[in-house]
Amino acid sequence: MKRIVAVIAALSVVLFVVYVMASGFGNDPHAVPFMMKGKPAPLFSIKRLDQEGTINLKDYLGQPVVLNFWATWCGPCKMEQPVLDWAANAYRGKAVFIGIVFEDTEQNTRSFLQQTGAAYPQVFDPKSTVAVDYAVSGVPETYFINRQGIIVKKYIYPFGSPDEFNDQIREILE
Amino acid sequence: MIALVLSLVLSQGYAPARQGQDPLDHDREMRVQAIGKQLRCAVCQGVSIADSPASMARAQLDKVRELVAEGKSEQEIYDYFVERYGEWALMEPKKTGVTLGLWLAPVLLLVLGVLLIISSTKKPAPAAPTTEAPAAEDDYLAKVRADLEK
Repeated sequence: MKRIVAVIAALSVVLFVVYVMASGFGNDPHAVPFMMKGKPAPLFSIKRLDQEGTINLKDYLGQPVVLNFWATWCGPCKMEQPVLDWAANAYRGKAVFIGIVFEDTEQNTRSFLQQTGAAYPQVFDPKSTVAVDYAVSGVPETYFINRQGIIVKKYIYPFGSPDEFNDQIREILE
Repeated sequence: MIALVLSLVLSQGYAPARQGQDPLDHDREMRVQAIGKQLRCAVCQGVSIADSPASMARAQLDKVRELVAEGKSEQEIYDYFVERYGEWALMEPKKTGVTLGLWLAPVLLLVLGVLLIISSTKKPAPAAPTTEAPAAEDDYLAKVRADLEK
Protein backbone atom coordinates (compact mmCIF):
# COMPACT_ATOMS: atom_id res chain seq x y z
CA MET A 1 0.00 0.00 0.00
CA LYS A 2 2.82 2.38 0.98
CA ARG A 3 4.57 1.63 -2.27
CA ILE A 4 1.46 2.39 -4.31
CA VAL A 5 1.10 5.76 -2.56
CA ALA A 6 4.79 6.55 -3.20
CA VAL A 7 4.51 5.61 -6.88
CA ILE A 8 1.36 7.72 -7.33
CA ALA A 9 3.04 10.69 -5.59
CA ALA A 10 6.18 10.32 -7.74
CA LEU A 11 4.09 10.06 -10.90
CA SER A 12 2.14 13.20 -9.94
CA VAL A 13 5.36 15.17 -9.50
CA VAL A 14 6.81 13.83 -12.76
CA LEU A 15 3.57 14.63 -14.64
CA PHE A 16 3.58 18.17 -13.21
CA VAL A 17 7.17 18.74 -14.32
CA VAL A 18 6.45 17.25 -17.78
CA TYR A 19 3.35 19.48 -18.10
CA VAL A 20 5.33 22.62 -17.23
CA MET A 21 8.15 21.69 -19.62
CA ALA A 22 5.73 20.74 -22.41
CA SER A 23 3.87 24.03 -22.06
CA GLY A 24 7.18 25.79 -22.67
CA PHE A 25 7.84 24.06 -25.98
CA GLY A 26 7.63 26.43 -28.92
CA ASN A 27 8.32 29.48 -26.75
CA ASP A 28 11.45 31.48 -27.41
CA PRO A 29 13.39 31.38 -24.11
CA HIS A 30 15.14 34.63 -25.02
CA ALA A 31 11.93 36.51 -25.83
CA VAL A 32 11.18 39.28 -23.36
CA PRO A 33 7.55 39.01 -22.19
CA PHE A 34 5.35 41.98 -23.07
CA MET A 35 2.88 42.85 -20.34
CA MET A 36 1.81 46.33 -21.45
CA LYS A 37 -0.89 45.10 -23.81
CA GLY A 38 -4.28 46.36 -22.67
CA LYS A 39 -2.75 48.87 -20.25
CA PRO A 40 -2.93 52.67 -20.49
CA ALA A 41 -0.06 54.13 -22.50
CA PRO A 42 2.35 55.92 -20.12
CA LEU A 43 2.09 59.66 -20.71
CA PHE A 44 5.15 61.66 -21.61
CA SER A 45 6.12 65.15 -22.60
CA ILE A 46 9.44 65.45 -24.43
CA LYS A 47 11.30 67.82 -26.67
CA ARG A 48 10.79 67.68 -30.42
CA LEU A 49 13.81 67.28 -32.63
CA ASP A 50 12.35 68.12 -36.00
CA GLN A 51 11.16 71.55 -34.82
CA GLU A 52 10.77 73.66 -31.67
CA GLY A 53 8.39 72.63 -28.90
CA THR A 54 7.47 69.47 -27.06
CA ILE A 55 5.21 66.52 -27.76
CA ASN A 56 2.74 65.68 -25.01
CA LEU A 57 0.99 62.36 -25.49
CA LYS A 58 -1.98 63.61 -23.48
CA ASP A 59 -2.77 66.02 -26.31
CA TYR A 60 -3.42 63.08 -28.63
CA LEU A 61 -5.81 61.11 -26.45
CA GLY A 62 -8.93 60.38 -28.49
CA GLN A 63 -6.89 59.61 -31.61
CA PRO A 64 -5.10 56.40 -32.60
CA VAL A 65 -1.37 56.81 -32.02
CA VAL A 66 1.58 54.97 -33.57
CA LEU A 67 4.76 55.24 -31.47
CA ASN A 68 7.96 54.12 -33.15
CA PHE A 69 11.07 53.66 -30.96
CA TRP A 70 14.25 53.83 -33.01
CA ALA A 71 17.91 54.89 -33.04
CA THR A 72 20.26 56.18 -35.73
CA TRP A 73 22.75 53.32 -35.19
CA CYS A 74 20.03 50.71 -35.82
CA GLY A 75 20.13 49.30 -39.37
CA PRO A 76 16.61 47.79 -39.39
CA CYS A 77 15.24 51.17 -38.17
CA LYS A 78 16.66 52.84 -41.26
CA MET A 79 15.24 50.06 -43.45
CA GLU A 80 11.69 50.57 -42.18
CA GLN A 81 11.81 54.36 -42.28
CA PRO A 82 10.43 54.67 -45.86
CA VAL A 83 7.45 52.49 -44.89
CA LEU A 84 6.73 54.60 -41.80
CA ASP A 85 7.09 57.82 -43.82
CA TRP A 86 4.63 56.40 -46.36
CA ALA A 87 2.26 55.34 -43.55
CA ALA A 88 2.39 58.75 -41.84
CA ASN A 89 1.24 60.34 -45.11
CA ALA A 90 -1.27 57.62 -45.97
CA TYR A 91 -2.94 57.77 -42.54
CA ARG A 92 -2.75 61.54 -42.08
CA GLY A 93 -5.87 62.63 -40.19
CA LYS A 94 -6.64 59.04 -39.16
CA ALA A 95 -3.73 58.35 -36.80
CA VAL A 96 -0.94 60.29 -35.12
CA PHE A 97 2.63 59.13 -35.71
CA ILE A 98 5.45 59.90 -33.26
CA GLY A 99 9.07 58.76 -33.58
CA ILE A 100 10.98 58.38 -30.29
CA VAL A 101 14.75 58.20 -30.54
CA PHE A 102 16.43 56.54 -27.55
CA GLU A 103 19.80 54.99 -26.71
CA ASP A 104 21.39 57.59 -28.95
CA THR A 105 22.81 61.08 -28.86
CA GLU A 106 20.88 64.20 -29.75
CA GLN A 107 23.67 65.31 -32.09
CA ASN A 108 23.60 62.02 -34.05
CA THR A 109 19.83 62.22 -34.32
CA ARG A 110 19.72 65.84 -35.43
CA SER A 111 22.30 65.28 -38.18
CA PHE A 112 20.47 62.09 -39.28
CA LEU A 113 17.14 63.91 -39.50
CA GLN A 114 18.73 66.82 -41.38
CA GLN A 115 19.82 64.35 -44.05
CA THR A 116 16.65 62.28 -44.26
CA GLY A 117 13.91 64.68 -43.16
CA ALA A 118 10.94 63.60 -41.08
CA ALA A 119 7.42 62.90 -42.30
CA TYR A 120 6.09 62.97 -38.72
CA PRO A 121 7.15 64.42 -35.32
CA GLN A 122 10.37 63.08 -33.85
CA VAL A 123 11.27 63.37 -30.18
CA PHE A 124 14.41 62.51 -28.23
CA ASP A 125 14.36 60.41 -25.06
CA PRO A 126 17.78 61.35 -23.61
CA LYS A 127 17.82 58.94 -20.68
CA SER A 128 15.55 56.29 -22.18
CA THR A 129 13.02 56.90 -19.43
CA VAL A 130 10.07 56.75 -21.83
CA ALA A 131 11.50 53.56 -23.36
CA VAL A 132 11.70 51.96 -19.89
CA ASP A 133 8.14 53.11 -19.10
CA TYR A 134 6.95 51.37 -22.28
CA ALA A 135 9.03 48.24 -21.55
CA VAL A 136 10.96 48.56 -24.80
CA SER A 137 13.39 45.67 -25.18
CA GLY A 138 14.99 46.39 -28.55
CA VAL A 139 14.93 48.58 -31.64
CA PRO A 140 12.89 49.12 -33.68
CA GLU A 141 9.68 48.61 -31.75
CA THR A 142 6.34 50.12 -32.75
CA TYR A 143 3.46 50.57 -30.31
CA PHE A 144 -0.14 50.90 -31.41
CA ILE A 145 -2.35 52.91 -29.05
CA ASN A 146 -6.12 53.16 -29.53
CA ARG A 147 -8.40 56.18 -29.11
CA GLN A 148 -8.89 55.34 -25.43
CA GLY A 149 -5.15 55.61 -24.83
CA ILE A 150 -4.75 51.85 -24.36
CA ILE A 151 -1.75 49.98 -25.77
CA VAL A 152 -3.26 47.46 -28.18
CA LYS A 153 -0.04 45.82 -29.32
CA LYS A 154 3.62 46.29 -30.09
CA TYR A 155 5.37 45.20 -33.25
CA ILE A 156 8.98 44.18 -32.70
CA TYR A 157 10.05 43.77 -36.34
CA PRO A 158 10.99 46.38 -38.93
CA PHE A 159 8.18 47.06 -41.40
CA GLY A 160 9.20 45.70 -44.78
CA SER A 161 6.21 46.84 -46.79
CA PRO A 162 3.09 49.03 -46.61
CA ASP A 163 0.93 45.88 -46.51
CA GLU A 164 2.75 44.71 -43.39
CA PHE A 165 2.05 48.05 -41.76
CA ASN A 166 -1.61 48.10 -42.88
CA ASP A 167 -2.15 44.72 -41.20
CA GLN A 168 -0.83 46.03 -37.90
CA ILE A 169 -2.57 49.41 -37.72
CA ARG A 170 -6.05 48.10 -38.60
CA GLU A 171 -6.93 47.22 -35.00
CA ILE A 172 -6.48 50.74 -33.59
CA LEU A 173 -8.44 52.41 -36.38
CA GLU A 174 -11.66 50.51 -35.57
CA MET B 1 43.93 54.71 -41.35
CA ILE B 2 42.85 51.05 -41.21
CA ALA B 3 42.10 51.45 -37.50
CA LEU B 4 39.98 54.51 -38.23
CA VAL B 5 38.02 52.72 -40.95
CA LEU B 6 37.53 49.67 -38.73
CA SER B 7 36.37 51.78 -35.80
CA LEU B 8 33.87 53.59 -38.05
CA VAL B 9 32.56 50.32 -39.50
CA LEU B 10 32.39 48.48 -36.17
CA SER B 11 30.73 51.37 -34.38
CA GLN B 12 27.62 50.90 -36.54
CA GLY B 13 24.88 48.90 -34.87
CA TYR B 14 25.74 49.68 -31.26
CA ALA B 15 24.18 52.16 -28.89
CA PRO B 16 26.60 54.92 -27.91
CA ALA B 17 27.87 54.65 -24.35
CA ARG B 18 25.80 56.71 -21.98
CA GLN B 19 26.55 57.89 -18.50
CA GLY B 20 23.99 56.84 -15.88
CA GLN B 21 22.50 59.31 -13.42
CA ASP B 22 24.58 60.48 -10.50
CA PRO B 23 24.39 58.07 -7.55
CA LEU B 24 22.16 58.95 -4.61
CA ASP B 25 23.50 59.25 -1.07
CA HIS B 26 25.32 56.17 0.29
CA ASP B 27 22.38 54.40 1.97
CA ARG B 28 19.89 54.97 -0.83
CA GLU B 29 22.47 54.05 -3.50
CA MET B 30 23.12 50.77 -1.64
CA ARG B 31 19.38 50.10 -1.89
CA VAL B 32 19.42 50.96 -5.60
CA GLN B 33 22.26 48.51 -6.23
CA ALA B 34 20.65 45.76 -4.09
CA ILE B 35 17.35 46.12 -5.95
CA GLY B 36 19.19 46.32 -9.28
CA LYS B 37 20.85 42.95 -8.53
CA GLN B 38 17.38 41.38 -8.36
CA LEU B 39 16.15 42.79 -11.70
CA ARG B 40 16.91 41.31 -15.10
CA CYS B 41 18.35 43.48 -17.87
CA ALA B 42 15.86 43.65 -20.78
CA VAL B 43 18.49 43.48 -23.53
CA CYS B 44 21.02 41.05 -21.98
CA GLN B 45 21.15 37.32 -21.31
CA GLY B 46 20.64 36.50 -17.65
CA VAL B 47 22.42 39.55 -16.28
CA SER B 48 21.02 41.90 -13.68
CA ILE B 49 20.67 45.60 -14.42
CA ALA B 50 23.20 46.33 -11.67
CA ASP B 51 25.81 44.09 -13.31
CA SER B 52 25.20 44.87 -16.98
CA PRO B 53 27.20 47.53 -18.80
CA ALA B 54 24.43 47.86 -21.43
CA SER B 55 23.06 51.32 -21.92
CA MET B 56 19.47 50.07 -21.56
CA ALA B 57 20.38 48.42 -18.24
CA ARG B 58 21.70 51.79 -17.05
CA ALA B 59 18.41 53.34 -18.07
CA GLN B 60 16.56 50.70 -16.06
CA LEU B 61 18.86 51.27 -13.07
CA ASP B 62 18.21 55.00 -13.40
CA LYS B 63 14.52 54.20 -13.16
CA VAL B 64 15.18 52.26 -9.93
CA ARG B 65 17.15 55.27 -8.67
CA GLU B 66 14.26 57.58 -9.56
CA LEU B 67 11.75 55.35 -7.77
CA VAL B 68 13.99 55.02 -4.68
CA ALA B 69 14.38 58.82 -4.63
CA GLU B 70 10.58 59.10 -4.74
CA GLY B 71 10.47 56.97 -1.58
CA LYS B 72 8.95 53.87 -3.21
CA SER B 73 9.28 50.59 -1.32
CA GLU B 74 11.24 47.63 -2.72
CA GLN B 75 8.01 45.81 -3.46
CA GLU B 76 6.62 48.81 -5.36
CA ILE B 77 9.79 48.97 -7.44
CA TYR B 78 9.68 45.23 -8.24
CA ASP B 79 5.99 45.63 -9.10
CA TYR B 80 6.84 48.43 -11.55
CA PHE B 81 9.13 46.10 -13.51
CA VAL B 82 6.92 43.00 -13.17
CA GLU B 83 4.00 45.04 -14.52
CA ARG B 84 6.05 45.70 -17.66
CA TYR B 85 8.08 42.53 -18.20
CA GLY B 86 6.23 39.97 -16.07
CA GLU B 87 8.04 37.81 -13.54
CA TRP B 88 10.74 37.39 -16.16
CA ALA B 89 12.07 40.72 -14.85
CA LEU B 90 12.99 39.11 -11.54
CA MET B 91 16.37 37.37 -11.36
CA GLU B 92 14.83 34.97 -8.84
CA PRO B 93 11.20 34.13 -9.63
CA LYS B 94 8.63 34.39 -6.86
CA LYS B 95 8.04 31.18 -4.90
CA THR B 96 4.27 31.12 -5.37
CA GLY B 97 1.76 29.27 -7.58
CA VAL B 98 3.18 27.16 -10.41
CA THR B 99 6.65 28.55 -9.72
CA LEU B 100 6.48 27.21 -6.18
CA GLY B 101 5.70 23.77 -7.63
CA LEU B 102 8.80 24.01 -9.80
CA TRP B 103 10.93 24.94 -6.80
CA LEU B 104 9.54 22.04 -4.75
CA ALA B 105 9.34 19.37 -7.48
CA PRO B 106 13.07 18.40 -7.46
CA VAL B 107 13.09 18.17 -3.65
CA LEU B 108 9.89 16.10 -3.65
CA LEU B 109 11.28 13.80 -6.35
CA LEU B 110 14.49 13.34 -4.38
CA VAL B 111 12.63 12.51 -1.17
CA LEU B 112 10.30 10.10 -2.96
CA GLY B 113 13.24 8.44 -4.70
CA VAL B 114 15.09 7.96 -1.43
CA LEU B 115 11.95 6.54 0.20
CA LEU B 116 11.45 4.13 -2.71
CA ILE B 117 15.06 2.98 -2.54
CA ILE B 118 14.86 2.45 1.22
CA SER B 119 11.59 0.52 1.01
CA SER B 120 12.81 -1.70 -1.85
CA THR B 121 16.18 -2.55 -0.27
CA LYS B 122 14.81 -3.20 3.21
CA LYS B 123 15.14 -6.96 4.01
CA PRO B 124 12.00 -8.60 5.41
CA ALA B 125 12.32 -9.48 9.13
CA PRO B 126 13.07 -13.20 9.70
CA ALA B 127 9.98 -15.15 10.66
CA ALA B 128 9.86 -16.34 14.29
CA PRO B 129 10.27 -20.11 14.63
CA THR B 130 7.02 -21.81 15.43
CA THR B 131 6.65 -24.98 17.46
CA GLU B 132 2.99 -25.42 16.77
CA ALA B 133 1.85 -27.57 13.91
CA PRO B 134 0.23 -25.78 11.07
CA ALA B 135 -3.46 -25.35 11.65
CA ALA B 136 -4.57 -26.97 8.48
CA GLU B 137 -2.49 -29.78 7.03
CA ASP B 138 -2.77 -31.29 3.68
CA ASP B 139 -4.86 -34.50 3.77
CA TYR B 140 -2.21 -36.46 1.96
CA LEU B 141 0.54 -35.36 4.34
CA ALA B 142 -1.62 -36.17 7.34
CA LYS B 143 -2.18 -39.67 5.99
CA VAL B 144 1.59 -40.16 5.37
CA ARG B 145 2.34 -38.90 8.88
CA ALA B 146 -0.22 -41.33 10.35
CA ASP B 147 1.25 -44.27 8.37
CA LEU B 148 4.76 -43.45 9.59
CA GLU B 149 3.67 -43.34 13.17
CA LYS B 150 2.18 -46.85 12.95
